[in-house]
Amino acid sequence: MGTKDVKPTRSELIELKKKIKLSQSGHKLLKMKRDGLILEFFEILNKAKGVRNELDDAYDNATEKIGIAEAVEGRMVIKSTALALKDGPEISLESHNIMGVVVPKIEASSVHKPINKRGYGILGTSSYIDETVDSYEILVDKIILAAEIETTMKRLLDDIEKTKRRVNALEFKVIPEMQEAMDFIRFRLDEMERENTFRLKRIKA
Amino acid sequence: MRLFQRLRNKSSSATSSGGSNYAYVTARVRAMKSNLLPKETYSRLMNMDLDEITRFIGETQYKQDVDELARKFKGVDLIEHALNRNLAVTFSKLIDISEGELNYLITEYLKNYDIWDIKTILRGKYYNATLEEIKDNLVSAGQLKYNFLSELAEKESYEHVIDTLSNTDYYPILKNYDGTNLPEIENQLDKLYYQRLFNAIGTPKSSDRKLFSKLIRTEIDIKNIKTMFRMKKEGVEDGELEDLVLDGGLRLSLKEINSLVPLPFADFINSLEKYPYWDAISDFASPDMESLVDLETSLTKYSIKSAASFSHEYPLSIVPIMDYMINKKNEVNNLRIIIRGKAVNLDDEIIRNQLVI
Repeated sequence: MGTKDVKPTRSELIELKKKIKLSQSGHKLLKMKRDGLILEFFEILNKAKGVRNELDDAYDNATEKIGIAEAVEGRMVIKSTALALKDGPEISLESHNIMGVVVPKIEASSVHKPINKRGYGILGTSSYIDETVDSYEILVDKIILAAEIETTMKRLLDDIEKTKRRVNALEFKVIPEMQEAMDFIRFRLDEMERENTFRLKRIKA
Repeated sequence: MRLFQRLRNKSSSATSSGGSNYAYVTARVRAMKSNLLPKETYSRLMNMDLDEITRFIGETQYKQDVDELARKFKGVDLIEHALNRNLAVTFSKLIDISEGELNYLITEYLKNYDIWDIKTILRGKYYNATLEEIKDNLVSAGQLKYNFLSELAEKESYEHVIDTLSNTDYYPILKNYDGTNLPEIENQLDKLYYQRLFNAIGTPKSSDRKLFSKLIRTEIDIKNIKTMFRMKKEGVEDGELEDLVLDGGLRLSLKEINSLVPLPFADFINSLEKYPYWDAISDFASPDMESLVDLETSLTKYSIKSAASFSHEYPLSIVPIMDYMINKKNEVNNLRIIIRGKAVNLDDEIIRNQLVI
């Protein structure tokens, strides 16, 4: 808002005063939101680190289990057994709110299945296959958890960045410009009042 | 289809006739046995890298299979398919050269491959897998030949597959498949295999047949122990476990198994102490065991080693033929364990633990 565009009227001054007050309270709130989001982000960051480590471990374990199963049973056996499993996990996506940031809540059902509900016969298979399936079920669980936490983290980061930009814009641009405009109007109004007083004195004389 | 009918006719005539050619088949088996890799080969292979092992396998009896499959597969997959193909050709040869009762016994023993292939085809149809995917996972080492299995795999739906098998012993089970109860059908097919094998032994009178019976019944015991461990560890209901145990075990009769089924996991493990299999599992079996893999490997080793222990007895009987089949399968398994294990960078220690030498 340049001072050139400002009409130096009393009503404009009142309007500007209102706007500055509103911007200052907005600025304060946004600062609080930014700080809150940062705190929340660090909490989730710690959780994300833990989940990422668990995910890496689960992946290593699943890779080793399938490696052993492929070696002992053969890849053909593993592939054939895998054909008996058609149903994937059902993923439901909900959302919840952290300080106005909509973050996903991912829930998956039927990832873990008991040995007798997995789709393959027991007598023709072995514990190598059971343990491979187990380890991949755990891996899928961890992937879902990591997806939820890491998406939340990304959304929070985006929102922190956005809030920071808004806080800075209010603090360094919007409020100072409005204050400058307010000063300009005050100055012009004072000037106009002085001119008026001078004009009245000249008429009187 | 004609081929299949011919096979069926051969099989049904074999069960009725008694003229077996033990002398001829055992002589052939002795010659085939000389092609098996000596034990010390495995430790040499363990010190080779993947390319060296591949080259080594390509220079052995598996050369022809490797060459013929090289257009379709490569790397470790090529070796695995070549090993399986060689196994299938070898076992099919045994079925083809044997006659009478011997043919009947070998065929019954190798029917687990037929059951495996039928299961693979049904799984493929259930999953809507491509024809190639199904065919690539077939091992025609049993009575059903590859061409027939390919025809089966080409059928449009599982109903057509089952209709084509309507003249087989599997049909009474397969006809109950409704597209949703595959695990149940698979279990029943596997139970049928052991039941038929047990019936094939009948009441053994001669010493060699007693030995053969011992071998099969030990295998049933070991299968039952593995099944019980897997189900009890997962806490599956007793009723379901009872449906999965096999009759005809050597040391564990059905009555004894039924008394083991309701026991809590810890008591179940303690109860196994009185059986000869305890030595094989005592190091791994504990109520809080996390993995069954080592226990299962140990039981498999026990089974193979106990079969090998009496292989030299009764040279003109089913025993040396069974011994050859077990050793051939073991060789294929060992080679696959080494090559697959090395391909996925498993520790040498893990690979060695899985080998049965």
